[in-house]
Amino acid sequence: MTLMKPAARVRSRARHRDLGGGGRTAALFLAPFFALFLLTMIGPVIYSLGLSLFATKKSGLGFGSSPEVVFVGIENFVAVLSSESFLAGFARVAIYALLYLPTMIGGALVLSLLLDTAAALFKRAFQLLLFLPHAVPGVIAALIWVYLYTPGVSPLVRALESGGISVNFFSAELVLPAMVNIAVWEWTGFNVIVIFTALQALPREVIEAARVDGAGPFRTALSIKLPLIAPAIGVALLFTSIGALQLFTEPAILATASRAVTPTYVPNMWAYDAAFNRLDLNQAAAASIIIAVVAGVVSYFITRINTKGGRA
Amino acid sequence: MRSPTRSAIGLATVAAVAATTAACGSNAAAPSVEPTAATGEVVFWSALSNMDRVAQAFNDSQDDIEVVFESIPSGPDGYAKLSTAIGADNAPDVATIEYFALPEFVTSDRLAPLDDYVSEETLSEFNEVSKSLVQLGGNTWALPYDAPPMMVWYRQDLLNAAGVEVPTTWEEFEAAGDAVLDETGSYLASFNANESSWFAGLAWQNGSQWFAAGEDSWKVGIGDAPSEEVSALWQRMLDAGTVKAVPSFTDEWTADMVEGRAAGVVGASWSANAIYSRVKDAGQEGKWIAAELPSWGEDIAPLYGGSTYAVPKTSENPAAAAKFIEFLTTDPLAIEARGDSGSAYLAASALTEVAQEAYTTSDFFANDIWAVFDDAADGTSNDWQWGPNFGITSSAMQEVLTDVGPDGALIEDFAAVQERTVDGLEQSGLSVE
Repeated sequence: MTLMKPAARVRSRARHRDLGGGGRTAALFLAPFFALFLLTMIGPVIYSLGLSLFATKKSGLGFGSSPEVVFVGIENFVAVLSSESFLAGFARVAIYALLYLPTMIGGALVLSLLLDTAAALFKRAFQLLLFLPHAVPGVIAALIWVYLYTPGVSPLVRALESGGISVNFFSAELVLPAMVNIAVWEWTGFNVIVIFTALQALPREVIEAARVDGAGPFRTALSIKLPLIAPAIGVALLFTSIGALQLFTEPAILATASRAVTPTYVPNMWAYDAAFNRLDLNQAAAASIIIAVVAGVVSYFITRINTKGGRA
Repeated sequence: MRSPTRSAIGLATVAAVAATTAACGSNAAAPSVEPTAATGEVVFWSALSNMDRVAQAFNDSQDDIEVVFESIPSGPDGYAKLSTAIGADNAPDVATIEYFALPEFVTSDRLAPLDDYVSEETLSEFNEVSKSLVQLGGNTWALPYDAPPMMVWYRQDLLNAAGVEVPTTWEEFEAAGDAVLDETGSYLASFNANESSWFAGLAWQNGSQWFAAGEDSWKVGIGDAPSEEVSALWQRMLDAGTVKAVPSFTDEWTADMVEGRAAGVVGASWSANAIYSRVKDAGQEGKWIAAELPSWGEDIAPLYGGSTYAVPKTSENPAAAAKFIEFLTTDPLAIEARGDSGSAYLAASALTEVAQEAYTTSDFFANDIWAVFDDAADGTSNDWQWGPNFGITSSAMQEVLTDVGPDGALIEDFAAVQERTVDGLEQSGLSVE
């Protein structure tokens, strides 16, 4: 460095400020993140990978002898993937996502487009009201809804019954839609904020140009606003899909009230059941890794669709 | 460690002292006979209520051992915590484990046997059923705390309205169900698929043996003939509407009780508190009675629930831990200190009297519930054993019994539970017949 010619040094310093100096500052700020990330994310992942390759085997009656920890390779993964209940869990998540994604994203989109129209009154108040359910913690929300679903207790069920409609939200057919309903209630407001923020950021001249060209509010929303906020919708879709794969709170709480929700209802509950009911940490680790891989693949495809859509 | 010579001298002294002070009773000599001194700190984990007070009472009663109490979650979360803590060598010295979970901890080699620390005399204080459940493979692994007999609680006014007596056989129970439904519109009992040890108790009463440790392999009988007979009965009652499939301890279950849609509860001695706390404001005082389980003809008295105290293998102070466990399970002070925490029916039968005194709501019921507890507990255990991983069976039951109700198929369901249990146990390396 010190042997460089002055001109080169100036140039190099300029480059340095951009890359090296900035890099050092950035590293300083990022270090705590990466330290924690290694400790709380990467560490456990490596540990579970290790766990998933071993099994604790008892022998005979099990009395008086210590269980052995043996290396079993991919045996745990095979056992998890050939478990009917684990695969059924993925099927349920798929149905859940099919019901949930269009309802929630569609609802959020319509609501934010309505909020964005010039004619909308009390924008702030509506935003706040829509967001309020999201301020309720997920577990509490599920508990509230369990109360509202419980026959003999719920005012909702009673009102429906007095209207001649008898529904059992805890039945095998309705319990999944009941979960979708909780999630829609909880998350629509949040996504309205995301999409509405994107709408607010749209250049006003584009919308004015559309109006000058004679487009009504309906046409503007469909042909101008919608394509422009596609990236925001994509982000909402990405987070929501990953959230759907991680479905746990709603079924876990509903399981306490409904027989139709088994302890292995969704893949996450399967892993939980393996770890905490059957006390098989090795299979639980294998199941968790499979879930993580599926989540990774799903998000990869959604981001790809997004970027393609963005370029088109 | 004590040196051998010092121990020898100690023992000789003890023998001499014991000989000369025999008239004073055995209490004075007892502590010094133990292999290691029972002193130091004992960490105690429990999910049971008021156990902090019991630990305090023990600390106040002597100076050698200091018990530190920590409250842990009940149910699967608590067992997961205990199991991982033992694996990570930061487990307590005394843990609370329910009967059905004990064999899982024993076969995972997570507990220390108590044979060296507990005298025959202490063991003789416990009733037969509870003792048989803590002794596995020839060792004593825990001391039993309570031994709640399975029994039925009825709304006497609804039985009267239907013109039926308290059923003494299951046949009468089925008929009473029809009468109660016809006359009052209420159902006679709920089917609690959420509690796997609930149906296990009912099968146990009919002579079923869900698990039996043979010479070198386990025998699983969840789908055996007595079990099938029980399944058939409950399916008939579910079909007739005299029994409703509803998970216990849910809002729906509670609402049915409060509004009089439930004319009975198949539970245990501890259900007194569960019922009282739910219906005390519903004007049902003096309407509930306790009764023995209807009979299948044999004299088997199943337990429903119940806890034991065990010493994890990692404990560095098992002697002191065992001393504290002895206090927990056999000392009247321990029961007194816990206060009113429900109608506990204890494994050391002599102590139930103390629990009865502490329980303040016996008068809520229309009959002498404590006399009924005694009758219900009077019977054989029929060599019932819990399996080496009841969690597998529990999970299987939750998975299979999703559509339990009218037009269900309980017999087929339990055949499936049997199959899944055997698969699960074999996968864990155990040998199953």
